[in-house]
Amino acid sequence: MVRTVYSPEYCLQYLEQYASQETFVLGLILGQISNARENVIHLARTPEEKPVESSSEASFTSEKTELVHNLLAVSEAWVADHARHVTRMLPGGIFVQGIFITSDEDIFEDPNHFSKVRAVLNYVHKALGMNQFMYGNYTNLNEKLILHMSTSTKVLTCKTIEVGVGKNSAIKPVDWKFLPKHQQWQRLDCYYEFDEVYPVIVKKSGISVKQQFQQILESANKTISSSVMFIDGELKDGSEALEQLVKKKRPKSSTKCAQDTPKSMHVSLFVPFENSLPETVEYLECDGSIHFSGVVSSSVFMYPKATVSEAILAVKQDIIRSLASRFTMHCDALIDDNLLPEEKVCFNEPPRRVLVPVGSLYFCDYLFPGEAPAEALLSVKELLDLQITESEVICDVETPADTSEFDALDRDTSSEELLATPQEASQFMYITGICFAMLVLFVSILIHYYDAIVHFISNVVSRS
Amino acid sequence: MSPRLKISKYVIERLSKIDTNETTGCLYGLMYDSTLLVVGLSLEFFEDEKNTYRQLLLHLPAEIELCGVVKFTGSLSIESKPKEILQNVDITDNPLFLIINNEKDIKAHFLVHDKFEETPFEILQPEDLWKQFTYVRLNTILPLTCEATMTGVKNIMQNKRKKIASGQVSFHIDGSSVYLFGVDSDVGVTGTSVETDIGELIDSLNPEQSSKKKKNVINKAEIMSVNLVMKATKDMFSDKLVKTAVKMMTTQRKPAFCISMPLRVDTLALVHRNTKLSELYNVLVEATCRSLKLLESVLLEQLGQEGIGDGAGLRLPETFHYLPQELGHFITRVVPKDIPDESMEKERRILHEQLGLSVQRPIFRRGNAYNFIISKLVNPHEAITVHSLKPDVRVALVRGRYIYYHYMQDNFNDDGWGCAYRSMQTIFSWFRFQGYTSVEVPTHREIQQCLVNIGDKPTSFLGSKQWIGSTEVMFCLETLLGVQSRIIFANTGSELLNYTPELVHHFEKHGSPIMIGGGVLAHTIIGVEYNNITNETRYLILDPHYTGVDDINTVISKGWCGWKNSDFWNKTAHYNLCLPQTKPSI
Repeated sequence: MVRTVYSPEYCLQYLEQYASQETFVLGLILGQISNARENVIHLARTPEEKPVESSSEASFTSEKTELVHNLLAVSEAWVADHARHVTRMLPGGIFVQGIFITSDEDIFEDPNHFSKVRAVLNYVHKALGMNQFMYGNYTNLNEKLILHMSTSTKVLTCKTIEVGVGKNSAIKPVDWKFLPKHQQWQRLDCYYEFDEVYPVIVKKSGISVKQQFQQILESANKTISSSVMFIDGELKDGSEALEQLVKKKRPKSSTKCAQDTPKSMHVSLFVPFENSLPETVEYLECDGSIHFSGVVSSSVFMYPKATVSEAILAVKQDIIRSLASRFTMHCDALIDDNLLPEEKVCFNEPPRRVLVPVGSLYFCDYLFPGEAPAEALLSVKELLDLQITESEVICDVETPADTSEFDALDRDTSSEELLATPQEASQFMYITGICFAMLVLFVSILIHYYDAIVHFISNVVSRS
Repeated sequence: MSPRLKISKYVIERLSKIDTNETTGCLYGLMYDSTLLVVGLSLEFFEDEKNTYRQLLLHLPAEIELCGVVKFTGSLSIESKPKEILQNVDITDNPLFLIINNEKDIKAHFLVHDKFEETPFEILQPEDLWKQFTYVRLNTILPLTCEATMTGVKNIMQNKRKKIASGQVSFHIDGSSVYLFGVDSDVGVTGTSVETDIGELIDSLNPEQSSKKKKNVINKAEIMSVNLVMKATKDMFSDKLVKTAVKMMTTQRKPAFCISMPLRVDTLALVHRNTKLSELYNVLVEATCRSLKLLESVLLEQLGQEGIGDGAGLRLPETFHYLPQELGHFITRVVPKDIPDESMEKERRILHEQLGLSVQRPIFRRGNAYNFIISKLVNPHEAITVHSLKPDVRVALVRGRYIYYHYMQDNFNDDGWGCAYRSMQTIFSWFRFQGYTSVEVPTHREIQQCLVNIGDKPTSFLGSKQWIGSTEVMFCLETLLGVQSRIIFANTGSELLNYTPELVHHFEKHGSPIMIGGGVLAHTIIGVEYNNITNETRYLILDPHYTGVDDINTVISKGWCGWKNSDFWNKTAHYNLCLPQTKPSI
């Protein structure tokens, strides 16, 4: 059976607009595969390469300072980097499904062009698979889409190519369909809460933030994958379609309401306790503790005919993907990864999630503490090629961490108090306070006796 | 209004056996269907401030609470003292007061509005207790990390209990899609109807068991297994929803010691089968909290000891459930892992005395613990319908649990030669269950190896199909368990009758199964019945020659386990009996 992909009509206009303006454009296809149907949600042009900004991520030579107008000149690493950054903005269950290209060559026929396309997609596939916690690749299918619009004929062709298998990758035709109507999405929401305290063993070099985050990710991934998910407070049959749950709840008389946007479903996750620890008491010398707390807000959008199991997987991947995105962004922004032993109490606040509208659903972005919602507009423009206004950014799904809150949290008996009490912090602040008071005293004495001192000094000076 | 009163037959029996004057005790019971059922008792002196009954409560299944006081007196009149005791003993409403006199007559009173009102009571027979009530067993592992100090442990355990009681946990009934959860203060059930009761759920989980008309039921605890899951998401509609994004705080401080362990929670609750599933949530929360308190006390006790004070030698607490025959209810104990039973005798002695149990034999060693999963039959003789006894008949039975070993078990074909080996295995299992040993029940080959090792048999004996007799059983018990046996020789089957008093004495004193070999057959004697008037003796025989599957109905109806008259024995054959002896210990 030919793989069929459904796409909103604005994607066609989007392609046509580029095809009529420019000779060559490349971008990413973002969408969702469920057993029921494959949907494309958005097309996002890969930004033009700007050598200054992307020094570390993609290496390219000086000749590319001018704009790339040719597929063969495209840097695979650059496209892959775009895919990695875009994946951070995708809710669970939505993936980079492939690339689109507008050009006047027939990329499927010209061997040079086609091998370039394959190289780009293989690079993207590899880059997305680098960090397993990003869930960058849809695991059930190692095929990526190639959508091509000829700038001369405006003819649209779509095929899939097998990735990660070398030169002999299979190529299959795809039936690309445009939907005149807006696709409906079933939204699922939850707040996943972390509140964990564990001891750390300090090495001479200090604590690596990156390493701590990695450990948190690993354990969260394990816990969340093994958790049981309830939808609207009930355990659902995994094979049931989401829209079926909605229909069941509504009495038949009010079928008209079903035409409206379906209500969001509330998800709760229950974590079983598994015995991963050895059957013994471990006795450790520790030099401090880590308290990881706060929420990850998760909003996932599913095709209404998708099954409960598919939705469960999407939610679980969303939480982990979001955590991994924040940690990566945080660590990329760190000047020094190591906490020195002198730093008694240290806060690490990864960026928080905000929601940005894309078509009829929401993608997300991350704001560092102190960043304004306007920052999100920039990444949406740059990475998703989409113009939104500041008021459209939903900033209150999460609130920024307030460091003063830590004190309150630690006094709260619900958190595991003993390990986390920042005694040293208060002591440190106490000493600082005393020093500051001494300084003030000294300065005020200085001011008070200024005349006398000046007089005294001038006497001393004049005597000599 | 005061509730109706029922007292478990077990309690009545224990009360009548306690041979003491002028003493007091506590009564433990549970409420169901506006009835108070007394299921347990302990002897208490109410003299010091220790309130040992409060600690004992942690060893009892959840739902069983302190419900009253018992007093042993010369007369059945009420004095002033019980009121004082009842005031100190923390019982919510309608405290019960039982008086028992020297003649073992019992009078029951409820204290209503500061006055004692005598109340009639009904005795609940053991079979009804087992039929009407079921145990819910919760198993989970909580990872525990805290500072290696007593305060560290206290705080974290308190936090764990708070978390459990906060409605954040959900309970999952094993083998089903049923979850019980607490939504804020509301309690919910998913996976089945809210109206379902526990009995219905258990029957639906084991359809084949309920369909068999339960003709031959061993008084066996029915267990429903439950595990625990923790809610990791926040309630979207809660006013208290704090949406602070994830953050990490690192606190560095002077080197300190911490302990980290998987805390295994294994706890029981006793509930009536008619209890609604929706009512079970709070029961399980209470059961978990009881278990955490018990685990905490064992951890603290260790930390308080010298040498372990810093936590370096701390041992993982392990939970064991015991179902002593005399009690008819479970007692849960938590002991530090790998500490030998021998060095914990003091604690056990206190428990024996508190519960008024014999101090002549072990009851609370690790080996005595109740095995929840045994594929073989345990104590099949308990399924035999008991006829009312004539006054002149004296019955003495095996005491405690044993496994019925017989031909062909464990895919091992010993048909025609292994009967004495199987009898020996039954005896061995008895010694294990009674806590005398933790050595595994030996296989046929291990028994043969033992006999070769001691020089009783040549090496060619290994792997052979040669029979063994009573003396070999005696040798093996001696070598493998250090158990001495008495051997009785009877020249003919009829001569066996002369030994009836000795057999009665054996069961009363030692209670172990007896192996008997005669002719080509070996059997296990697990009880004798002696009629004073007619001089008749009957034997309760466990026949190892059975080759079928372990089905209690077949075993009983076909007489593989049953009472035999003295003509069961061959009149012309010689018989040798091996009577394993026990030494007083606890």
